[in-house]
Amino acid sequence: MARILIVDDDPDIVESVTMVLQKNNHEVLQAYGGVEGLEKAKKEKPDAIILDVMMPDKDGYEVCKELKGDASYRDIPILLLTAVVSKIPSTTYTHRMGMETEADDYVDKPVEPTELVRLVERLLKQ
Amino acid sequence: MTTLEALHILVVDDEKIIREGAERILIKEGWKTTIVESGERGLALIKNDTFQVLLLDLMMPGISGMEVLQAALQMQPDLLVIVITGYATIENAVSAMKSGAYDFIPKPFTPDQLRIVVRRALDKIRLEREAALLRSERERSLQDIANEKSKTLTIINHMADGVLVTDQKGSIVLNNPAVTRMVGWASKNPLGKHVSEVVKHEDLTNMLKKVLEIEDVHEQGISQEVAWGDPPTTFFMAHTAPVRNEQGDIIGAVTIFNDVTRLKELDRMKSEFVDMVSHELRSPLSAIRQKLSLMSDGFTGDISDEQKQIVGRVQHRIDGLLGMIRNLLDLSRIEAGRLVQQKERLVVPDIIEEAVELMVPEADKKGVTFEVTIDADLFPIHADRQNMETVCGNLVSNAVKYNREGGRVTIGARNRGEFVEIQVSDSGVGIAQENLGRIFDKFFRIRSDYTRTVVGSGIGLPLVKAIVEAHFGSISVASELEKGTTFTVLLPRAIT
Repeated sequence: MARILIVDDDPDIVESVTMVLQKNNHEVLQAYGGVEGLEKAKKEKPDAIILDVMMPDKDGYEVCKELKGDASYRDIPILLLTAVVSKIPSTTYTHRMGMETEADDYVDKPVEPTELVRLVERLLKQ
Repeated sequence: MTTLEALHILVVDDEKIIREGAERILIKEGWKTTIVESGERGLALIKNDTFQVLLLDLMMPGISGMEVLQAALQMQPDLLVIVITGYATIENAVSAMKSGAYDFIPKPFTPDQLRIVVRRALDKIRLEREAALLRSERERSLQDIANEKSKTLTIINHMADGVLVTDQKGSIVLNNPAVTRMVGWASKNPLGKHVSEVVKHEDLTNMLKKVLEIEDVHEQGISQEVAWGDPPTTFFMAHTAPVRNEQGDIIGAVTIFNDVTRLKELDRMKSEFVDMVSHELRSPLSAIRQKLSLMSDGFTGDISDEQKQIVGRVQHRIDGLLGMIRNLLDLSRIEAGRLVQQKERLVVPDIIEEAVELMVPEADKKGVTFEVTIDADLFPIHADRQNMETVCGNLVSNAVKYNREGGRVTIGARNRGEFVEIQVSDSGVGIAQENLGRIFDKFFRIRSDYTRTVVGSGIGLPLVKAIVEAHFGSISVASELEKGTTFTVLLPRAIT
């Protein structure tokens, strides 16, 4: 049982992820944008963060960068939720971007529930 | 142009025996000869007719030989006059020569002497004519060269693309108005000046320097985008190629500039649009797909097998739609010339193996087996990795999707001259002849009972074709209904 923050501007994604994680006995915190996500992450210090990349107010890369650049939050593992992202021909590059922003893992949306659970478990073990 | 046979010889001598003897000898040689007995008659003929050689007796009653000589040369300056003179009057011959006679023959003469002296005159005429011919030919080819040069120059000067020619030291030897407009020389007359002197642009100077150092004679040159202005306002695509002499040494470089500013702007707008669409289409689909997973995986409570099947089918269709969006984005990017991002040296077998591995789960479901044959000495290729993954991925995935239950996918890779050939065959339904020509068309899908069950976008093959062609390769297809389909891709080998 862990406390996991899900940050996505799409409420349906937030709801889906929440449902999957709760079924797996995790406590889920929700945020619907980059700014809110960053705030919650700092306040709640969750055990892990699932972070969408493309958000209108503050994108996932920035949130990730800010948290990883701060010694008090650096250790929170982050899973980036990616999609086909601007100016990049395919997802491989997106993943590379995720790596460069020091995210701990990444996954393409949509993600199968079982895969999500597997990735979160792996993230928590780090 | 008169030939030598058409030469006409005139003999003027008051002595009948000499006159007629000469005529006999000359005609026997095949030379057209006319004889007259006096200077007056001779001059009258010369006035109206053209002769090349005049055999002229100096000592004649009436008008003297010397007078005839002068009058004849006045009328026909190129007439070769051979004076006939007795031994006693050799001085006359000398003064005749001074007056423009070509040669002389002493009287009496033997037939051989006459033949020799006339032949010498005729040889001179022939050589002169040949020389004149050569001269005119030379003039004509000089004229041709000048015309060609003027034509080339006109073409170069009216091209919309900039043309810059430099010598082996990098000094400018030719530039057209377009390039002047594009780069704006730092000096009024750039000719003869070094490029670095008149164009303050490091990228360009370096590029020109690099091209002069190319050692491999097969190397075509360098293409590079150069930005102009600070901040950059104009963008050129500069293609520079070495010019080699017969020995293969680099003697200079030709650089062509395309203004790609507008293209870049369009490209940027297109990319923005594509990104917008990508996000707007993909996001809701991802969310729908995500929620369906919750149902099918039982997160929302138990569902019946029938419900599960339906949800599974819906998920499958959405996956197809998501794949289509991705392909569509890739296609629009490659059409904008942007998909080929980074060419590198690639080993084909790795990419084929990856593509096969990805399809193994689906192939297992249908009982489809793979047979991969790759030549051990297969050339590497120079290509964009992701592009090649798309090409192999699409072909292998099609070969599985359109195969029959328990079918076989045969993949081969071998060297073909300067190309690497990749062949993907299936043992599936095949493609009817009338459809074969259209399968590379965008959004074309064959409608049949069979393909209806296969999720596809009609974009995979156009994308494959676009990628292959962007890599200067080709793709072809052969198919037989109920037997199977073979796709053959040819890609140029990497230059070693």
